[in-house]
This record gives sequence, structure tokens and C-alpha cells, in this order.
Amino acid sequence: MAASKPSTDPNTNIPEYEYTDVNTHIFHIGSFRNEWLNRLKPSNYSYQQEDEDTFDANFAKEMGISAETMTDLKSICSLDSLCCHPEDEQPDTEVVPPDSTLRTLVQRKKKQDHRASLKISKNRHDLYADELERLTVGRKPEAVTDMVPEGEVILTINVYYPAVYEKFIYSRPHITLLMTGSHSLAELRDAICCVSDLQVCGEFSNTPDIAPDFISKDHYKSAFFFFEGVFYNDMRYPECQDISMTTIEWAKAHKFPPYSQAKMEDTRFMDLKVKVGFPYLYCHQGDCEHLVIITDVRLSHKVDCLDKKLYPLLTHKHRVITQKCAVCHVFIGRWFTTNDQFAPSDPCLFCDKCFRMLHYDAQGNKLGDFLAYPFVDPGAFN
Amino acid sequence: MDFCQKQVKSDCEELLGRFQTTDSVRFEIFSKIWREMNFTQIFYGTVNHERRAFSRLILDTAYSFFLPPFSFQIRVGGLYLLYSLYHCQRASPPEQIRLALKNWEDVKKFEKDAVDAQHLDVIYILRQLMLRKAFNFTAMPTVLAFNKKRKMERAALCEAFMERASRPQELINIELLEELSNVDDHYGKLKTSIGLQADPSINLIRKELVPELRSTVVDFYKWQQRKGGAGGHEDEDSGEGTSSQQECSKRAQLISSIKSKAYGEAAEASKSRRHRQVEVDFTSYEAGPSLSSGYSRTNKPSLKARTNENVHVSGDLWEEATRTTHINRLTTLDFVPEEKPKTYKRFKW
Repeated sequence: MAASKPSTDPNTNIPEYEYTDVNTHIFHIGSFRNEWLNRLKPSNYSYQQEDEDTFDANFAKEMGISAETMTDLKSICSLDSLCCHPEDEQPDTEVVPPDSTLRTLVQRKKKQDHRASLKISKNRHDLYADELERLTVGRKPEAVTDMVPEGEVILTINVYYPAVYEKFIYSRPHITLLMTGSHSLAELRDAICCVSDLQVCGEFSNTPDIAPDFISKDHYKSAFFFFEGVFYNDMRYPECQDISMTTIEWAKAHKFPPYSQAKMEDTRFMDLKVKVGFPYLYCHQGDCEHLVIITDVRLSHKVDCLDKKLYPLLTHKHRVITQKCAVCHVFIGRWFTTNDQFAPSDPCLFCDKCFRMLHYDAQGNKLGDFLAYPFVDPGAFN
Repeated sequence: MDFCQKQVKSDCEELLGRFQTTDSVRFEIFSKIWREMNFTQIFYGTVNHERRAFSRLILDTAYSFFLPPFSFQIRVGGLYLLYSLYHCQRASPPEQIRLALKNWEDVKKFEKDAVDAQHLDVIYILRQLMLRKAFNFTAMPTVLAFNKKRKMERAALCEAFMERASRPQELINIELLEELSNVDDHYGKLKTSIGLQADPSINLIRKELVPELRSTVVDFYKWQQRKGGAGGHEDEDSGEGTSSQQECSKRAQLISSIKSKAYGEAAEASKSRRHRQVEVDFTSYEAGPSLSSGYSRTNKPSLKARTNENVHVSGDLWEEATRTTHINRLTTLDFVPEEKPKTYKRFKW
């Protein structure tokens, strides 16, 4: 049994389950790629398809069969033999056939009928997902130099939203990114959108126009990833600090096994040793913590998005409900006021337009007494 | 998409079950069953991005039948299923079949078996899939996201599809037994020739080693027969059974000679053997229920449930405490009566 092989297997770069269907043993991504490339012929992972006739000729030669047998074989194995409807009529593939005996279809029929009874024609989330798929699947680059090389590793990475919502126990909202093996961790960091990077700290009721200049991303640039006992710190800018030091020293003081550090920008995915399916950590803004799971590692394929420039490629995004302005109930809240004599409640949420119309005169002078704080909605990236 | 996993699996098993009863590895037979079951329809009624997710699910399900521990015939069925599903799916560009690195050797072995047995359609279809780039070369057969399950569902592999273990019969064949008895004889003679047989300290070898060994293997074989009796024996009288059987029919003959000997001598079973028989029976009964039940955990209510039960807070205070303050309350007016929570019609599976 493959699954029960001990972890002391000398060849550890062939991924095996540590816990079945949960996560794998640790392996080196670059060596994993080499293991595959050693086993495959270049034609196996090439983006070009071999010529059909050459294939047939080679096959007949290798098997030692005549052209006649080959023709028979081809007709037996042809896809027409799988056709389940008469040739002259084309079935409606959008509709579940009503009289099927397949259990999957019986269930799907029930679901489709239920959906029809709901009177909701289209789910907004489905629309978003459809659009995202159109944007990502099978994109070809314009220039050959932007092509993802054949035999490159593609990683699928789930980055989870911080577990601050109550609902997190029921669903695990996340974004899914595709990255290639030659990307560095810093590029992953830049691809992660998180609202805590956009937060603005402070009270701006006197100078509402300069608020956007103070977003946290520009002030606190330190961040780290944590993979398999190593903290990968972002040290690209002079103001970056090694924020993992606190944890490392604490661990040392409490006699935990030692942790090491490395630089995020110098580490490519190819150099990493990880477990697939195992939760790791991304921490930024001091305490905004995201789980990171590498869900899949594989060789690139001709139907993947092959345009290097589009990577890191977003393939899934969880959309969050947004909080609307208390006045117009249309736009997303941007300002948060307290001690506000105009507001119906304390505190109160306003969109930018309503906030300015209510609290400032035409010349932009503050009216009345209130405290205003910029507010960034968790759904700002929808 | 997880909701239909069970249904998909049972549909695939149904198809392969029918394929198994035909005792064939021909694609014609498979495609006939496919048409009979209208299996192409399984993709009908999926919309937009659901298509891709469903293709993913059904390909992953079918992939498991393509690997050991299933018998060669089922694996061929699994390959045909992958081929057919891959080409009939409605996602465009098609979703790939995920081939894990650890399964590569199995696939190569499978291909070799098929070549040795000259199953042209099997090889052709496997090569076609390779040619059309139907495979994604991956680390693991499925995408893993640390989905720990509270209740481990025992991977219910369809036992009827499995190949019966035949290693003991293959290893302990007539030749080996003869050789063994010769060696035993020789050893005994040697001992007597130096006149040591009186000394009990050198009686290291069991008496009647050879007959005992044989009867054990025969018992094992019989027990296996009895266990799988209901399912019929697929690997013996089929014309095109496992390839290993075809490739070395000599070995098969040996096995069958053991079998026939076993039946021939069944009448004169010795006392000791009857005793052993009972023992085997006993284990087979015992093993059944204890395996299926697995280990059972005492179901304690969660900490939250226990706290709720034990801590009693009266009236409004409790109401307040259990509710959390949502940011969306900021935009609702204080005096507006609390809306009745909307009830959505939920779909029951």
C-alpha cells in the first residue's frame, strides 16, 4: 500500500500522504519537478500536440499490426461509439434529462427544480465566478517571451481571510492564486489583497482630503511568511523590520525547537520544502494573520494560462457583504463618525459623497462638531 | 460540488460493475454499456463554472478506479471511463485528468501488462490520452486543503472490484514443496548417518513440515473461496483475465494443480486439519464485524453546548450576551423594530 509507506523512504521528493486526503509529507518543490521531468518524455509535457498520423504510424509499427487492424482499432475506439443520442438530433445539454436512472442526475434534477421554484434567475456570485473563469482559463500570451516555459511548476495557493468573522467556523473564505515555481515569496505577498493594508489610522474631520495619504501599507511594510520552521521576512525596503524576531526569541526562551529566518524576496517556490495541503502563515501589519495553504503543485499544461505577465493569477475570490452608507444605502461606507450631531446613530457610517454633503459646506469648511475616521470595508476588494 | 460525490461514485461503480460481469476488457463492450446507461448525460444540466467543478469531481472519482488495488479488468474499465469522461465533458477547454507522481509507476506497469497481453485497445486509448495531453502531472491525485473530517469516513473501496491475493498459492507451489521435502529427506538421512537422532537438542526442524505447509495454503485458498463465493470468481474462467495470468500460464497451471490436488484430498482431511479449519472459520467471522464498526468515540457534547447547559443567565441579559454587535447595526436606526429574521428556503439533499 502506497499510503502506508513509512516516512523514512529514501526518496522523499515523491509526495505521499501524511494524512490521507488531508496533507502530504514534506518535499522539495524543485526536486519534485525534476522527478517528473526525469520520468516523462519532453513530448508528454510539451504544449504542442504530436501529429495524429505520425502517432498512428508509430503505434502500428510498435505493436506490429497492419494498417487494416489499425483502422479497425481506430473505429472501435472512436468517440462516436460513446454517443448517447441519435445522430440527427442534438439534445439540450442545459437541461437535466427527466427520465435518467443515474443517481447523479436524479439528484441534479431535484436541485434544478428547486432552483426554478425560488424565482431567482441568477446568483450574483455565480456571475462573478463565471467572469473570473473567462478571464483566466487558457490565456495565451502575445509575445513568445512571455510564455510560461514548458515543464514549469504551477502552484495553487489558497490565502484565507483572517479569522475575525464569526462566520469563519462555517465557511472558510479565501482567495486562490496560481503562481509558478520561479516566483518569489515577495511576489506572492504583493498579490495578496487585504483590507488591513488599506486602513488609515487617525481622526481626519478637519482635513478629509489628505486621509488617503496615510494608508498602513506605506507605513508598516514588514511582513513574514512561515513555512516549515522558517520565517521568511520581507526586507525589500529600508524601513522593514524583522518582526519574526519576537516569536523566535520567545520560542528560544521557552525551549521550543529553534526557528530560522530567511528573506522573502530571495526565496523562490522552487527552493521551498513544504507539505501540500498543510496550513502555513502569512502575517502582516503586525497582527493580521492569514492562513496559507498550498493546495496543489503540478507541471504546467497547454490549457493553463500561459501568459507569464498575468501571474500571480487570481482564480477564486470569496466576496464579502459590504456595509452601506446610512444616508443613501447605495454606496459602500467610507467614513465612520462619532459624536456627530447630524448622524442618526452614534457611531454612524457614511459614503464619501453623503459624508461631505452633510458635514462640509461648498467651500469645504467643516460644519458642526464631530469626529471622523476613515473606514475601509472588508468587502472593499470585491 | 461535494454534495454529489456519493451519487457520482455509485454511478461509476454501477457502470464498472456491469463491465465486470462481462468478463471482458474490450472497449466495444464498455462503450455498449456506456450507451445503454446513457452515461454522456451525466454532464447535462451543469451550468457555467459548475461544469468545470463537476468535471473535476467525476474525473477524480474515475481516476481512483484506474489504480491498484483494483483488478486488471476494473483498471481497464477505469481507463475507459477516464477516456470517455474526458472527451464527453462539457467544460471547455477540458479539465485534465490528474496523474500523481506516486502513481506513475503503477501506470507504467499497467501499460506494460497491457502490451505483454496485446490488449491493443487498452494501449491505444492510454496513448491517445497522452497524445491529447489529457493528463496533468501533479503532486497529489486531488487538491488538498487540509479538510480534516471530524468523522473519518472509511474509504469504502468496492471489494468486488479487488483482485484476490494469490501470492501464497503462487509462492508455495508443487515444485517448491517437492524441493522442500527432498531437502528435508536429505537432512534427515544426514542426521541418521552421523547417528545423532537420539539427541533431542538437535531436533530443530518440525516433523511433517511439508504436508503442514501445504495444508495451510490449501486452507487459505478454501477460506478465500468461501469468502468470495457470493461474488463469483472472476479471475479464473474468464477468457481474458489479468494479464499476469496470461503472460505466464505455466504458473497458472501450477496453481491449478495445487487446487485440484486440494480437492482430491479433501475427503481424507486429517484431524489436525479439521481443527485448523475451524480456526480459520472463527477468524473470518470475527474479522467481519470488528472491521466494519471501526473504533467508536463516545460522543460528548461540545464545550459550548455544555456551557450553555450549565450556565443559566436570566432574561434579557442572556439575550444580550449571546448576540454580538455587528457593524451593520451602525446603519440601522435604534427605534426601528427589529426585523424578523428572514427565512430562506433551504434545499434538503
